Amino acid sequence: MTRKSTRAVGLVASLAVAAGALAGCGQSGDPDSLTFMFRGSPDEEAAYTEAIEAFEAESGIEVDMIMTTADEYATKLRAAIVGGQIPDVFYFDPGSVESYANAGVIQEITHYIEASDVVDLDNMWDYGVDSYRYDGEQLGRGPLYALPKDVGPFSFGYNATMLEEAGIELPDPDEPYTWEEWLEILEEVTQDTDGDGKTDQWGTGLNVTWNLQAFAWSNGGEWLNEDATQVTVDTPEFAEALQYFSDLDTEYGVTPSIAEAQTLDTYQRWMQGQIAFFPIAPWDIPVYQDLDFEWDLMPYPVGRTGEPASWIGTLGIGVSAATANPQAAADLVAHLSADPDTQRSLAEAGVQIPNLIDMAHEFAADDSTPPVNKQEFLDVIEDYGRALPPTYTYNPQWYDELYTNIQPVLEGRKTAADYLAEAQPRMQAFLDMANDQSEMSRGTK
Amino acid sequence: MTILEKAAPPAPDSSRPPQRVSTLHRREHRTAALFVALPVLGFVVFVAYPILFAIVTSFTNWNGITAPVANGVDNYVRMFTDQYFWKSLGNTVFMMLAIPVGLLLSLLLALAMNRKMAGTTFFRTIYYIPVISSIAAIAILWQWAYNGDFGLVNQALGYVGIDGPNWLQNPATAKPAIMIMAIWKGLGFSMLLYLAALQSVPRQLYEAAALDGASAIQQFWAITVPMLRPVTFFLVVTNIIGGAQIFVEINIMTPDGGPEYSTATLVWYIWRQAFDYLNMGYATAMSLVLGILVLAVTALQFALNRRNHFSID
Repeated sequence: MTRKSTRAVGLVASLAVAAGALAGCGQSGDPDSLTFMFRGSPDEEAAYTEAIEAFEAESGIEVDMIMTTADEYATKLRAAIVGGQIPDVFYFDPGSVESYANAGVIQEITHYIEASDVVDLDNMWDYGVDSYRYDGEQLGRGPLYALPKDVGPFSFGYNATMLEEAGIELPDPDEPYTWEEWLEILEEVTQDTDGDGKTDQWGTGLNVTWNLQAFAWSNGGEWLNEDATQVTVDTPEFAEALQYFSDLDTEYGVTPSIAEAQTLDTYQRWMQGQIAFFPIAPWDIPVYQDLDFEWDLMPYPVGRTGEPASWIGTLGIGVSAATANPQAAADLVAHLSADPDTQRSLAEAGVQIPNLIDMAHEFAADDSTPPVNKQEFLDVIEDYGRALPPTYTYNPQWYDELYTNIQPVLEGRKTAADYLAEAQPRMQAFLDMANDQSEMSRGTK
Repeated sequence: MTILEKAAPPAPDSSRPPQRVSTLHRREHRTAALFVALPVLGFVVFVAYPILFAIVTSFTNWNGITAPVANGVDNYVRMFTDQYFWKSLGNTVFMMLAIPVGLLLSLLLALAMNRKMAGTTFFRTIYYIPVISSIAAIAILWQWAYNGDFGLVNQALGYVGIDGPNWLQNPATAKPAIMIMAIWKGLGFSMLLYLAALQSVPRQLYEAAALDGASAIQQFWAITVPMLRPVTFFLVVTNIIGGAQIFVEINIMTPDGGPEYSTATLVWYIWRQAFDYLNMGYATAMSLVLGILVLAVTALQFALNRRNHFSID
């Protein structure tokens, strides 16, 4: 062998080693340890650390926790997946099940779950469990790819102290307001309390991105047709809902104006007792224990259908397809999602409402801490909540498009009907593109 | 056989190259090859391969997880019809208007700092603090400062009777707001380079000019500005490259790309397509276009600069 070729071989060899070093550092391969990647607040980290320690003690498996903030989770996880360093157990949303399952990133865990002593699927919310079923074609049916970390019903609340001071009867938990009734109350509580000519308290203060759903759905409006091929926001029902939403500010002035809302977020204003009605989710509960006013939950006010509506978030915990110890990984999933002790401590930490139906009812019956009407959360899950519109589409660009140029409507410079009519074709174009992408990535096109 | 014969050196072997004789030489060669191999390896792994990979990926439909599917020039065609691509490209170019303003301000500051007066060290430090601060922290601070109601900026404007806008939520003011912050952030760095350049201008040039009766302003235009040209050139090139990649401040201060995408920059849009919309192939195609644009602009600047060469002998 000549010297030149020796050197070339050496170079190639070192390149190969380097490439191997870059690509091959996935799981440790150690069957007695697992990595668990998740996201959340410091409260959640504390609660999960405790749950994981219990699991370690019980199973003898060591668990490395990788925690990120909510913002950076998706980016980090994706980088881990592309780099072949997939954690053994990790969070994902229902929208990712399809692509992860098709790409062989996650594995089906039905037989582990069914064989598990910890899990009783009949005692878990259908919405939570079904969100992670996938039969290779459609979500919501077939084998399980994850168990819910939680279900997050987005409910509605009121400041009881403020309503009482204004001499208004407290909302009935079973008899929702109509939009007209609600508007009257909003106008009544929107006041300048100190007489300086400036409004100090408002009826409500909502964010269009997270609250339009309740109004649109309750009025019979829909984002998509049933098989998610058509954007249907250009209907009178939808326009009426968006117009009502925008009129709350521009016509009736019962919410802080856009500028005022940016000055002090409506969330802060609510906590300072300046707002009468505000959305409340389970993850708010620990923070809201310290509010210096009385508050409780109620159904969202209803539009044309007469039925309240809202959305439920959920995250799942699933197992990497490449894990060295699928049994232990599935056990960890079962422990976090369905173990009664874990669920009790997570619920007590205020991180979530229990995944176990019987425990959730117990939790709802406890009226010693606010909100007294915890049942409302369960009603959202069992009765009137649904997934956010982009959950089951390939990407949310079509959905984001609705909000990208919505400002003129919120400022009253454009009618909702005009805006929706011009936004619909743009949204449709993005949806078509997303559906194409989805088919291409599944190899069916 | 005599002793002499025995001690005779072996006949030179003409079939072997002479360097083969010295083991020291050979060892040096190997060491040299090793030293050369490292950067070459680094280049191949971290530059050549990613670029090649990006070029290939830009012709595919890829979500970053499943296998890429070739789709020809679809991504490039899509770019031409994508209004948000053009909008974010336009925003990126528009925000570069901040570069000349920033350079002018930093030159003025450098001139001020170059004078002999008390406290210059203090001010130099103060102006340099934004440069070394975390961009994320700065973006959050400025986000508060720009708050429509209680923000520092509008409070200050309030004292002189101006009712300030809600900076980051208004399509007309969101871009300028970010530009002002970018200028502020970059000021210290440009100032420092200008200051160093100012101090290296030979004093005798000014003395000679003064003897010839040149005024301070004439000296500035005839001596200072030409002598600073290499630094200006360096700053313009690096600022444009940096400006083309502006991302963090956008993502923190206006997480949705601003009202009506008014602050969405190209890199921000690329990131969004790649990670939020799973269009990794499309995002790579846009990155390549951005890379080519930056390369073209930089090449153009070098070409223009060559014509401006001057010497002082």
